[in-house]
Amino acid sequence: MAKGIWVVVEQRDLQIRKVSLELLSQGRKIADETGESLVAVILGQGIEGLAQTVSANGADKVILVEDEKLAEYTTGAYTSVLNKLIRKEEPQVVLTGNTAVGKDLFPRLAQRLGVGLASDCTGIEVDSSSFMVFKRPIYAGKAFEFVSSTVRPILATIRPNTFALGTPDAGRTAEVVKETADIDAGDLRAILKEVAIAASKRPELTEANIIVSGGRGMKGPENYVILEALADVIGAAVGASRAAVDAGWKEQKFQVGQTGKTVSPTLYIACGISGAIQHLAGMGSSKFIVAINKDPEANIFNVADYGIVGDLFDVVPILTEEFKKIVG
Amino acid sequence: MDEIKEVSLEMKDYIVSSGAETLSWCMQCGLCTNLCPWRLVPGEISEAFNIRKMQRLGQLGLEGFEDENVLFACATCGMCLVNCPRKVEIIDNVRSMRNTTVAAGFLPANLRPIAGSLHANGNPWSGAHEKRAEWQEGLNIPAFSDDTEYLLYVCCTSCFDTRSQKIAKSIVNLLQKAGVSFGVLTAEENCCGETIRKLGDEELFQKLAESNIKLFNGKGVKKIITTSPHCLYAFKKDYPELGGNYEVVHYAELLGDLLKQGKISFSTELAKKVTFHDPCYLGRHNQVYDPQRELLKAVPGVEFVELGRNKEKSLCCAGGGGRVWAEAPMGERFGELRITDAVDKQADILVTACPYCIAMLDDACAGLEKGDVLKVMEMSELLNASL
Amino acid sequence: MNIVVLIKQTFDTEAKIVLDANGKIDANGVNLIINPYDEYAIEEGIRLKEKLGGEVTVVTLGGARAQEAVRTALAMGVDKGVVVSDPAIDTSDDWANVEIIAKAVAQIPFDIILSGRIAIDDGASQTAVRLAEALSVPSVSSVIKLEATGDQLVATREIDGGTELIEVALPAVITAQKGLNEPRYPSVAGIMKAKKKPLKTLTLADLGLSAGDLAPKMVVTKMTLPDPRKAGIRIPGEAADAAKELAKLLHEEAKVL
Repeated sequence: MAKGIWVVVEQRDLQIRKVSLELLSQGRKIADETGESLVAVILGQGIEGLAQTVSANGADKVILVEDEKLAEYTTGAYTSVLNKLIRKEEPQVVLTGNTAVGKDLFPRLAQRLGVGLASDCTGIEVDSSSFMVFKRPIYAGKAFEFVSSTVRPILATIRPNTFALGTPDAGRTAEVVKETADIDAGDLRAILKEVAIAASKRPELTEANIIVSGGRGMKGPENYVILEALADVIGAAVGASRAAVDAGWKEQKFQVGQTGKTVSPTLYIACGISGAIQHLAGMGSSKFIVAINKDPEANIFNVADYGIVGDLFDVVPILTEEFKKIVG
Repeated sequence: MDEIKEVSLEMKDYIVSSGAETLSWCMQCGLCTNLCPWRLVPGEISEAFNIRKMQRLGQLGLEGFEDENVLFACATCGMCLVNCPRKVEIIDNVRSMRNTTVAAGFLPANLRPIAGSLHANGNPWSGAHEKRAEWQEGLNIPAFSDDTEYLLYVCCTSCFDTRSQKIAKSIVNLLQKAGVSFGVLTAEENCCGETIRKLGDEELFQKLAESNIKLFNGKGVKKIITTSPHCLYAFKKDYPELGGNYEVVHYAELLGDLLKQGKISFSTELAKKVTFHDPCYLGRHNQVYDPQRELLKAVPGVEFVELGRNKEKSLCCAGGGGRVWAEAPMGERFGELRITDAVDKQADILVTACPYCIAMLDDACAGLEKGDVLKVMEMSELLNASL
Repeated sequence: MNIVVLIKQTFDTEAKIVLDANGKIDANGVNLIINPYDEYAIEEGIRLKEKLGGEVTVVTLGGARAQEAVRTALAMGVDKGVVVSDPAIDTSDDWANVEIIAKAVAQIPFDIILSGRIAIDDGASQTAVRLAEALSVPSVSSVIKLEATGDQLVATREIDGGTELIEVALPAVITAQKGLNEPRYPSVAGIMKAKKKPLKTLTLADLGLSAGDLAPKMVVTKMTLPDPRKAGIRIPGEAADAAKELAKLLHEEAKVL
């Protein structure tokens, strides 16, 4: 009989990813609702100190797998360890964040276990017949599908920011179990040579979840720093309208619109952009559009979900501070 | 040593079979290139694109015409056709050469969302189809029926672009004031397909045209007024081969007639120096030159002045042939030359009668920062202000 | 070098999503394209062939129109195409699809298998990595730079906030991320040649499989469309108040932060 809700906690340099804590917080709620136990699984080297953090965030039990071969994430070693652990303990559900690691690890793990995987989920519903139903966006968010499985365990990767962070309870304690890493030689064929973390690498425009874009209202290339500051707080790409590109303030590769790049991020923040039809057609499918413009008649307001009629030089810096408070 | 180039008659036949029926008529005199507006601007596209050479590459089945800066540079302005001693259908040849790659699934990346939107929404502006007629709210425009004489077909651009919607609204008001019997089927219409056909996507053009023809024929449409010269072209020249036969006029032609008949007049004085940019698709492609001028001159106070390059010699705004979605750097845009032409004539208002021209000229005027001395207006807007 | 590129035909990025009477996505009249990330994989496959010699075979699992996608790949410079088409794949899940593809790929000699990192329709991002597991070969996902020698690959893979450099011996699976290359436009000569290139169509039976072998692990219980876009609002007040309110709305109402 399968039991337990597992969260594979992702850590990099012994820092737990925010999405893992979100999953522990939500996992706690589901565990209480269903009477299951919540188990946090951490792989790495020197991770013992993380057990307290995950128990404070809701885990009933913590499984630590320490090994120098697990210090950095590699597909093979992590799959090897988790596959054996899951086969031994037989959890109901195994969750992790839909991060670069989750997206790489879970498909392989699911195939090795011969089970289903709900990837990039934005919702979990507890269900009496299949235990959990996962909501996931398809067609770039133009539709949703709900998936479930009777095969155990169900694997799922959850999109970051889907669930709120809970308040850690430092007084909570969890059972801590240490497992040894048993890694098959065949799983070490890909060798990680180097990890390069960019200090602030903004995403590419068409790949970004959030875009902050500036137009003629930016008044000059030197003013883009305020947009960049905003973008870096929320991990956004910085774009520009054609007018800003024509004025020479931004390179053409940053141009958003039909004559530049067609984008459809989750959030598009247009600052000082009036909204020529080619621009609107090139970003109109964004999930949420914010317009900040001095001109109340600007076309951009016709497509904006939230509009502020005001001077972007007043609004943007305050917005940056507010975003800092939210994303922490 | 240079690479040996292989002549391929098979490729030539393929291009001809895609519709370039007059390709072999070209005798390479080069008069076309001499008139091509790309010769008036510097830059990478200008250097890559030579319309005479493009025809030659096609004739010989030589590779090289597929380069994006060659294949998709032509704005289909039709200037080249004026001088051609062999009456080569140069634009048809360009369209067919585009079709050889587009039909195989290779529209350039920047044009894919345009084609995608035409497939999904029936317009190139990524506007939701159900919002096509939203601009008509409160205007009291009747639906086309047996009781209305004309169908007013409004260009996608003027349905979805808030700037361009002003054109549609002005035309509606002018037609209503002149007592024209017209109705609309806007909500059910799709893009006329003129531009996507020029871009070489024949299949998509046919899909759009067939849906419109089915709609028009089903509703008993006989006469159409278009707001854009591009739609005028499609309905007059492209649709008959698919079974769509209508009496089609651009709104300027109809208003010109109504002016002569005394059914419309202008009273509010507009003491401005006004000039007119002839849209390629109204002028060279459809030979409509006079009504616009008569209408503008009928506005009290207007001092009409011709641009240096006018009528048959009008310089393209670069918005045709799909170039309205292409990117040329500042300094390489024909529209800028047009703004300069108007400023040189010390005109206060540069008038034109095409939504693409408006988009290109507005953009050029803002880019050149000439907004303080020159205003770009669509003719219907100016006429409407003087009613 | 034998290169296999796994591609998928997807809805056009601009396609409107409509549910049919059965609550399923309606594909009627929708324009289809090659999944954009798979185009990077095709391009990389052709480049590897140009550099190291060998043959590129495109494999796809799909419906009646999937051949068009393969013809497009052939026009770009791929040598051969394989389409697996069967009514059973309408209801198959990621696991089952991989079982099918693994059988098809097993018939083709391969040193490297390339695919897009994600398909823009289901957004699952599972097939290629699952396939690597099914074939017992290593994989590197989300690759933005690839260097190949005869028996080894050095891949730069995108991770959250940085990159990893991974060395892997062949055979291996690589998934392509945007930035890996710029897919080519074919010459007309290439398009003409593509019409004569071999394209094989296989059914499940040809692969020795039956629908019964492919009972899905994951089932779709329902599909829904997002709530219609609400009318936009103007946030009143001075800059400071409006900005605060905006941040709050984005966090609590839109939930995008």
